[in-house]
Amino acid sequence: MDVSDLPPDSVQWWTVVRRQLQFYLRTWRFVGLLLFILAVSFATLGFQIAYHNSGASGVGNYLYGAVESVATFGVIIGAFMGGDAIAMDFGTGTGYYVLVLPVRRIVLLLGRYTAAFLATFALALVYYAMVLTGATWFYGISSIPWSDLVASLGITALFVLAVLAAAFLFSAFFRSPAISIVVTILILFLAFDIVDGVLSVTSIEPWFSLLYAGQASALVFQGQPHLTVTHLMAGGRSITISAWTPYIWEGIAIMLGYIVVCLALSAVIYEAKESKG
Amino acid sequence: MSSPSIEVQDLTKRFSLGRVALEGASFRFEGPGAVGYLGPNGAGKTTTLKLLTGLLRPTRGTARINDIGVTQSRRQALADVGAIIESPEPYPSQTVAEAIEMVGELRGGRRGHLAEDLGELNTQLDLPPLDQRCGRLSKGQRQRVSIAASLIRDPRVIILDEPTNGLDPKERILIRNLLIDLKKDHLILMSSHLMQEVTEICDQVIFLNQGRVVLKDTVENVSTRFQSRAVDVEFAEPVHIDRIKAIGPLVQDVSVVGVRRYRITFDGSTTARAEILRGLVGLGPVIAYQSASLVLEDAYLAVMQDDGTNAIGA
Repeated sequence: MDVSDLPPDSVQWWTVVRRQLQFYLRTWRFVGLLLFILAVSFATLGFQIAYHNSGASGVGNYLYGAVESVATFGVIIGAFMGGDAIAMDFGTGTGYYVLVLPVRRIVLLLGRYTAAFLATFALALVYYAMVLTGATWFYGISSIPWSDLVASLGITALFVLAVLAAAFLFSAFFRSPAISIVVTILILFLAFDIVDGVLSVTSIEPWFSLLYAGQASALVFQGQPHLTVTHLMAGGRSITISAWTPYIWEGIAIMLGYIVVCLALSAVIYEAKESKG
Repeated sequence: MSSPSIEVQDLTKRFSLGRVALEGASFRFEGPGAVGYLGPNGAGKTTTLKLLTGLLRPTRGTARINDIGVTQSRRQALADVGAIIESPEPYPSQTVAEAIEMVGELRGGRRGHLAEDLGELNTQLDLPPLDQRCGRLSKGQRQRVSIAASLIRDPRVIILDEPTNGLDPKERILIRNLLIDLKKDHLILMSSHLMQEVTEICDQVIFLNQGRVVLKDTVENVSTRFQSRAVDVEFAEPVHIDRIKAIGPLVQDVSVVGVRRYRITFDGSTTARAEILRGLVGLGPVIAYQSASLVLEDAYLAVMQDDGTNAIGA
C-alpha cells in the first residue's frame, strides 16, 4: 500500500461526511434537539389551533413571526452539533483514532462541517415543516408564498453554516467538548444578545452579531425598517432606543463573512494543533 | 516497492516552559522486523511516536517514514502506516465493523475487499461482535478494535504505543503471536514497558532516557553484553543455603526465594554460570536452573542507572 493507493481528497471527504453524519444522527443530542423542536412547534401550533388564532394579520406576517425564531433555534442547535467538532480530537481518544490516518486535516474538518450542517439543517427543516403546516391550516396552501419560503430556507441554510463555522472555531480553542459546547452557546447566544441590547441605547448597528444577521431569513416574508428610533422619558431624562433590522443582503453578507473567516481560522488552528495530552 | 523504513534525524521536541521531551534522537530502521522502543515513563517514547505520526511537530530535526517527511507531507508519509498512539477511541456510536471499515475506506479500500479484510482480522484478533457499538466495549475490546483498524488494508509500517496496555493475559498472547507473525513482512516499531513482550517480539531495541537515545542495538547483541548476574535454581528437595555458598568463590551471594528455590548472584559470565550449575548438581537433583531476570530487563536497569555510560551503538 502506498500513496497511489490512497483515494482522492474528495472521496475521503465523502467518507468523513457519511460516517460523521451517522455519528451525529445516533447521538442523544440530536434526538433531544429533535424532540425539543417538535415539542415547541406542536405546543405553539396546538395553542394557535385550539384558540383559532394564528396571532398574525396574514400569511406573510405569520411566516415572519414563526421564522423569526429560527435564529435562536439555529444558534442553540448549531452550538450543540458543532461545538465539539475540533475539541473532540484533542479532549478524547477520537483524535488518536482519526488523526493518525492518511487524511488531510482540512478534509476531516470540511467533512465534519458538512455532516454537522446536514444534521442541523435537517432539524431546521422539521421546524419549517411545522411552520408550513400552521400556515396551511390557517391560510390555505394556495396562499403560501413558495418562492419566499425557498429564499428563507436558503438564507437559513447560510445562517446554519455561519453558526457552525463559529462553533467550529470556538471548539478549536478548547480540549473539553462539553466546555466547548457551553462556551459556544454562551458567546453566540447570550453574549450577542446582551451586546445587541446594550447597543440599542447607542446608535451603533450590531453588524458583527450573527443573531442580528439571522433575522434575514424571516425578513423575506415581511420587510421591516432598517432603523426604528424610539424616544423614551425615564427619570426626567430622554433616552433614545435604536432598533436595527438588517437588510437582507446585509444579513447574507454578515453570514458569509462568518463562514469565510471562522472556517479559515478553524482550519489554520486545527492544522497547527498538537495532540499533547 | 522499496523496503519499509522509519527514520528520525536529530529529532527534538520541546514543550512550553522549555521542557525537553526528546533531544536529538536519530535512528533508521529498514525492512521487515520489529523494534522495541523502551524507556521509563516520561523518557520521550510516546513523544517520538507522536512525531512520527504527525500528532506533534518537531522543534528540530526530521521524521521520515518510507523516506517521506512526516512534517512536510503528512498524508503521503502515513499512507502506508498503521498506528496506535495512547488510547484511541472510535466514535462511540459506531459499531465495531463501521469503525474498522471507516479506516479502511479512508485508506482507499473498497467495500467488498474490506468485508474480506474485516473477516480475516476478526479471526486473527477475536474481535467483539461486529455489530456492537464501540461505546459499549471494554478497554481491552476497544484496544483490539483499534489494532484491527490499524492493520486494515495491510500497511507495511506499524507504529504501536504500548499495544497490549489494558489487555488480559489471553489477549496479550493473541497480540504477541500476531505481531510475531506480522514482523516477517512488516516493519514494527513498538514502545512497551513489558520486557518479556519485547524480548519475544523484537529483533532490535532502542533505550531512551530523559529524551535521549542511550542504547540502540539488536536484542542479540544486548543479550551478549548485558548478561544476567543472577540465576534461580530449584531442587527436588530442600538444600541448606550454606551448602550452596560453599560451592566456591564464584557464588557471590545466595538468598532463599521459595521452599526449594534459591537465587544465586555471580559475575554474570558464562563460565561461572556453568561452574555453579556443576556444583549445584552435586548437592541434589536440580529441577530448574534459569536466569533470575530477563536479559533485557538487566540491560534496561544497567543503562538507566548509568544514564547511558553503558550504552552501545547509540
